Amino acid sequence: MKLFIRRVLFTFILLFATIEVWAQVSFVADAPALAEIGRPFRVEFTVDKEPDSNTLKAPDFEGFEVLAGPSVSTGHSIQFINGKQSSSYNCTFTYVLLPTKAGTFSVGAASIEVEGKSYTTEPLLIEIIAEKATSDADKQTSKSPDSRISKDDILLRLKLSEQDLYKGESIRASLVLYTRVGVEQIENLEMPPFDDFWTQELSFDNTPSREEYNGRVYETYKIRELLLSPQRSGEIVIPATTMSVIIQVVMQNNRHIDPIFGGRQMVHLTRELKTAPVRINVRDFPAGAPASFNGAVGDFSLRAKFPEASIKANSADQLAITISGEGNLKFITAPRVILPESFELYDTKISDNIQVTASGTSGSITYTYPFVARSAGSFDIEPIEFCYFNPSTGEYHTLATERFHVEILDDGSAAATNVIGFTDYGGAMRQLDRDIRYIHDVAKQSRSAQLFILSPLYWLVVVLSVALFIVIYVLLRRRIRLNRNVVARRMKRADKVAVQRLRVAERYMRENNRHAFYEEMLHAMWGYIGDKFNIPVANLTKETIREQLYRRGVSAADVEQFCEIISRLDEAQYAPSTEGDMGSVYADAVDAISKIEAIVKR
Amino acid sequence: MRMTTYRRTAMLVLTAVAMLLTAVVRAADPATTAEACWTEAVEAYAAKHYDKAVESLEHIIALGYGSAEVYYNLGNAYFKLGQSDIGGSGRPFASGELGRAILNYRRALKLDPSLEDARYNLEIAVDHTNDTEAIPHSFIVRLWHSLRDMATSNSWAWLSLLSLVVMLATALIYLLSQHILYRKIAFFVAVTALVLFILTTLLALSQRRAANDNTKAVVVCSDTTPVHASPDSSSKIIRQPSQGVTLRIIREQTGWQEILFSDGEKGWIRKSVVERI
Repeated sequence: MKLFIRRVLFTFILLFATIEVWAQVSFVADAPALAEIGRPFRVEFTVDKEPDSNTLKAPDFEGFEVLAGPSVSTGHSIQFINGKQSSSYNCTFTYVLLPTKAGTFSVGAASIEVEGKSYTTEPLLIEIIAEKATSDADKQTSKSPDSRISKDDILLRLKLSEQDLYKGESIRASLVLYTRVGVEQIENLEMPPFDDFWTQELSFDNTPSREEYNGRVYETYKIRELLLSPQRSGEIVIPATTMSVIIQVVMQNNRHIDPIFGGRQMVHLTRELKTAPVRINVRDFPAGAPASFNGAVGDFSLRAKFPEASIKANSADQLAITISGEGNLKFITAPRVILPESFELYDTKISDNIQVTASGTSGSITYTYPFVARSAGSFDIEPIEFCYFNPSTGEYHTLATERFHVEILDDGSAAATNVIGFTDYGGAMRQLDRDIRYIHDVAKQSRSAQLFILSPLYWLVVVLSVALFIVIYVLLRRRIRLNRNVVARRMKRADKVAVQRLRVAERYMRENNRHAFYEEMLHAMWGYIGDKFNIPVANLTKETIREQLYRRGVSAADVEQFCEIISRLDEAQYAPSTEGDMGSVYADAVDAISKIEAIVKR
Repeated sequence: MRMTTYRRTAMLVLTAVAMLLTAVVRAADPATTAEACWTEAVEAYAAKHYDKAVESLEHIIALGYGSAEVYYNLGNAYFKLGQSDIGGSGRPFASGELGRAILNYRRALKLDPSLEDARYNLEIAVDHTNDTEAIPHSFIVRLWHSLRDMATSNSWAWLSLLSLVVMLATALIYLLSQHILYRKIAFFVAVTALVLFILTTLLALSQRRAANDNTKAVVVCSDTTPVHASPDSSSKIIRQPSQGVTLRIIREQTGWQEILFSDGEKGWIRKSVVERI
């Protein structure tokens, strides 16, 4: 029956608890790693499931005196988060032990049974040290609470992970409070300005721990943790850090013994704490740094991401350099990239992924170099160098990418510009430097220092040329004048010559010599025009005659008549014709010449 | 028979005289020496032995063969010597080489204003001095100067004669030709030639004036030299021109010269530190 009810209940639990995670049972021991003779400490064994009663088997605490224990405390909590139920349970068995001897002692394994299964803890090692003899007795009896806390009971230290390092290396500095008394509050923390350092706050684990210092065991609390990287070489002194702490002291009041609370009294004291100045020796980089060294310290690797092996001209592309490793990554400057002249390099983009940890900065930093190749061709990108100093080896290391060959393909526009022999190198050519021009190695014919202008030779040339001009002018003018006279006479004589010829022609007509008549008539006609208008015989055509006559104002009808007579004469000269023609042609010609003569003379 | 003897003696005498003459000419022919010095200087300069180059070129000038090219090369040699021979003092132009370089560039330009390389190098050398900016000329004056400096006075003179001849010839054609077209063309050519004649004559005269101007001088000292307010070393120092500063000498007194800077400031300087171009 009892079993049945249990089963029903179990089913109910299963129904309501949708998901129940049955975790592994953990059973752990906890004790400080350091203790001193005469100061009790606690060892705790914690199990997170309800143990079977009275199954704890504690180890025999050899070397310790058990002051109290086991005292059992249990805790149970149930949580509903977003409708999910979770529960936790713990049961802690606590022993208070008093160390009696110095040395390293082992707290053996404890065992416990949970639901019939047995679990054991890991053994713990505890170091017990002998306290320096201090006058504890004095403290107990002294009246003033201030004097009960000695200077050694609470101190502040700046701990450095290293004190001798290279410039640019980084060290961890922790500000630690060492105390043997209860500290309530920390106030007015003043860190010195770390002028010669690059600093970075670190996150740290702030669980208190125990530490031995000057032969005494202290509770230690980390207050600050910084990463320091010296920026100059030489001896650097970090000045003191100051801080005030409020300490809680329990005083036995001798005068007024409280019947209920035993006359104990809490006293709060304020103490000013100060760290001792710390010296650091910063070494400079050794001599012989390569030219590409830029102050990078640490251990790095270099990776380059080149663009495709062939790119189109005038299209944007980029190449990326990634430096990864451990060291002063934040202080690295972008490695110099030398691109061919026809490449346009734009501003470098920097992206980083840097973690700052207690051991220093590490991660990677990527430099992206965007560029545009302006002209087609095949180019080599020079190896990109990155140099760093490795403090652990004390040497410089130079990393270099491989030489990268890139083919820039013609795009349409580049081809068009190449046709006219023009390559755009991205703006004007830069003047890199100036220097005087080179000497002339061939001397021109040494000119006489004599100045030619206004010299006798100059004047001679001037006078001669002017004289020549005058002579030529005078001579030619006389000839021209004579020429003019000849022409004038010929023009005057034109009609006389024509009349003479006409008379000769008339005689031939009477003799009936046809051929001679027509010939003489033509001579008369042509000769008249030629002489009258001063036209050379070679230039005499009907067209020139017409032109000349029109110009002189002869009417069109008369001109046509004149030309028609010449045509008739031409035809008649070689054609067998009747006799009567000669007489009419003669009359017409005389008529035409006299008409023209009348007009031209006016 | 007598004739042939005469002839032979005459021939002998003539050949002897000719041989003697050529020997004399060859021994002391300054032209060949100058030529040898020139090649020597060019080779020395190429081998960066600037002191030797300076020596050879100075020798050519001493022989009287100082052409614009010689002065230009000498200026270059001085400039390079001053830059390379830094010596104990640790700074360039320690012993007045810059002043000498500028002096010789200016001498080269005085002989041949169209020597563009000398003008370029002079500009670079002047950049090393503390010479003041000259009072800027008007646009017309600058245009005139740049036109003038395109050729030497003699070139302009020859050009002016050429244009005179062209003018006269075309004037003849204009006056005598019967053909109306020829006369028209000839008229325009003649007028253009007349304008050219006037222009080139003026340019030649202007260039002649510049070439005959011996008042310009260059400061030749090791570093800087004081310019006093009066010809007296205890008077106030008004300026400290460096070597290579160009100035104009107005008048002279014993050991002193009154000078005019390009910006119009006057002062007195010791005679020994300036050299006329």
